[in-house]
Amino acid sequence: MKGLAPIATVAVLLALVPFITASNAVLNFLVMAFLIALAGQGWNILGGYGGQYSFGHAAFFGTGTYVTAVLQVRYGMNAWLCFALGIAGGALVGAVIGGLSFRSGLRGSYFALVTLAFAEVLRIVASVAPITGAGVGTLIKLDLRPEAFQFQSRAPFYWVLLALLVVSLILTRIIEDSRFGAYLVALRENEDAAKALGVDTTLVKLGAMTISAAITAAAGGFYAQYFLFVDAGIAYGPWISVEALLAPIIGGVGTVFGPLLGALVIRTLGELTKIVAGDAPGLDLVIYGSVLVAVVAFAPRGIAGLIERVRGRLTPPAAPSLERSHG
Amino acid sequence: MSRDNLNRRRFLQSTAAAALSAPSIARAQGSAVKVGVLHPVSGALSYSGQQGRIGAQLAIEDINAAGGIKALGGAKIEAVLGDAQSTPDGGNAEVEKMNSAGVAAIVGGYASSICLAASQTAARYNLPYIVDVGVVDSIVTRGLKNTFRFGPGFGVIAKTALDNLVAINDAAGKPAKTVMIVHEDSAFGSGLSKLLNTQLPERGFQVLEVISHPTPTRDFNNVALKVRAQNPDIVIPANYYNEYVLFARTMQQQRVRPKGIYSVLGGAASSYKFVKEFPEAAQYIMDCNHWFDPKNQKALELKKRIDARNEFYTYEVYMNYSCILLLADAIERAGSADRARIIGALENSTFGGHLMPYGPTKFVNGQNQGAAPVNTQVIGNDIQVILPASFASAKAVFPMPRA
Repeated sequence: MKGLAPIATVAVLLALVPFITASNAVLNFLVMAFLIALAGQGWNILGGYGGQYSFGHAAFFGTGTYVTAVLQVRYGMNAWLCFALGIAGGALVGAVIGGLSFRSGLRGSYFALVTLAFAEVLRIVASVAPITGAGVGTLIKLDLRPEAFQFQSRAPFYWVLLALLVVSLILTRIIEDSRFGAYLVALRENEDAAKALGVDTTLVKLGAMTISAAITAAAGGFYAQYFLFVDAGIAYGPWISVEALLAPIIGGVGTVFGPLLGALVIRTLGELTKIVAGDAPGLDLVIYGSVLVAVVAFAPRGIAGLIERVRGRLTPPAAPSLERSHG
Repeated sequence: MSRDNLNRRRFLQSTAAAALSAPSIARAQGSAVKVGVLHPVSGALSYSGQQGRIGAQLAIEDINAAGGIKALGGAKIEAVLGDAQSTPDGGNAEVEKMNSAGVAAIVGGYASSICLAASQTAARYNLPYIVDVGVVDSIVTRGLKNTFRFGPGFGVIAKTALDNLVAINDAAGKPAKTVMIVHEDSAFGSGLSKLLNTQLPERGFQVLEVISHPTPTRDFNNVALKVRAQNPDIVIPANYYNEYVLFARTMQQQRVRPKGIYSVLGGAASSYKFVKEFPEAAQYIMDCNHWFDPKNQKALELKKRIDARNEFYTYEVYMNYSCILLLADAIERAGSADRARIIGALENSTFGGHLMPYGPTKFVNGQNQGAAPVNTQVIGNDIQVILPASFASAKAVFPMPRA
């Protein structure tokens, strides 16, 4: 399959990071960036390829988090199994929300608002329901054994998350090349035209939503194991919905590496502004916001789009045709 | 030739000097003890976080001005400041950075959820962690050897609050029978509400309704309307500063006047800022909260200094101030910046030089046994201690006089 080589290269390079640096601060930084990239990759499949902009991916992230945490704490189940069930749970929630909203023919901003509403409803339910520990949240017991999906050092966490991320990249690449992916892009460009050509748009959207939800739920499940504490604000709060859509938008919507690029840039920017701002509280967030506005203004198609544009300018006009004739 | 010799001699001299001075430079650098000062100074909890940071920084200044850590040859304490950005993962990331920076211990956290995450990460590195405020009891019941809480937890606070509520109500001839709880929906507010909700009926109070709201919330009109409709004798708010102020002001605007507003760890009820800015809304509000020892000379001096800086003397300030002193005492007794030895020194701490009415510290499983809240009431333009009697500076005004 074409296009797997770049993914493999990135995967190998990133996997070597723990051997280069022993700093857990660096690993922790990358873990948070990958976590956002993974959640963002989920969003990207539905929003980037399918053009269905969700504002409520917290619904899936949170379900992944809570299923992973609650099953372990309340029913003593194995953490890895809980994690897998968390992904399944997220997919199920995705299918249900997708089924309800696509069947009702919700599109564009209406779809965005409905997803936002679902996430908020789940947040409120989680903050009062006894099973989630209500507002007190759920605390996973510290048990630093690999069987319990907890590790003594940060590096194994890093590799597990990297593996999840790579799987999501490959999955996105496969979708990009498949018939399903073509349908998805077709309905993004013109849903009515796609329908007229015989694409079952509801089914395609539902499929994309389910895959999208599962990937974002994986990020949620990982969060639970990494921090061992979940409450309603973390799981279903708007922060993750925003981060999950910001990463692909900054990185480049509808591209395989967009979410990863975006997440790395956003997080790096956040850290850099922190250093620039020093100890003045909140100043880093002001700078961060301003830079973000500038990035979006000058690179509306994200970083991936910017790279393409720069490459287009650098290569002489004759080059593409030459390449083609050689290839 | 002679010039060469001279050069060589000079060269040798300079290298020898460098070699001699190198260890002293190393010693000078190594002599400062780095301490992580972690607070949510941006985000929803930024005010409390900034107050906490002020307290910690003042304590560090004072310790350094008084000659630093004497057991380490007058080593200065160097603060490594961290912003938890009001989120657990923000706190976690800062702990990682502080660990990389080589801190000997961390003080702070403020919110329960940040304390839970940050202390757990610190535990990975056997890094001593002193919780400044975080009141959820699971912070100290997880069996983490590195985590110490100087202040009281929920269990103690709720029990004291209920005992005192009964005492105040009894003294006034039992005018109050019904209660409504308004709490924020994270670990702090919900945990407290759960405790109160089960224990209030046992003490003869009927809980009419429990209302939860997220932090931040920017409109309390509906909540105030609900309170008006239920008309409880006592309203118990449990939320952070901004929401507390807004709720109290909304009740005042809508003229909802229960017999008493009795908060437990009310974010604003025992805050001079609230009393100064909204004296009418704050009038007669009672609170069971962290409070400095009003008979402690050091605590009163610090209050003057804070007032002189035009800051407010909130509990974050004196609790963090005390926590830093507690840590400095432990480092002093450990005679080393070694993490394991500091943990050992904290375990055996009998430190009494803090600003709180706790007596000498004694940690059992990381919880300071003497830690307890006091009851305060806003009377006039000041905050008075009304219970326990040994610290009281005024008698409780209950029920609230009708305006």
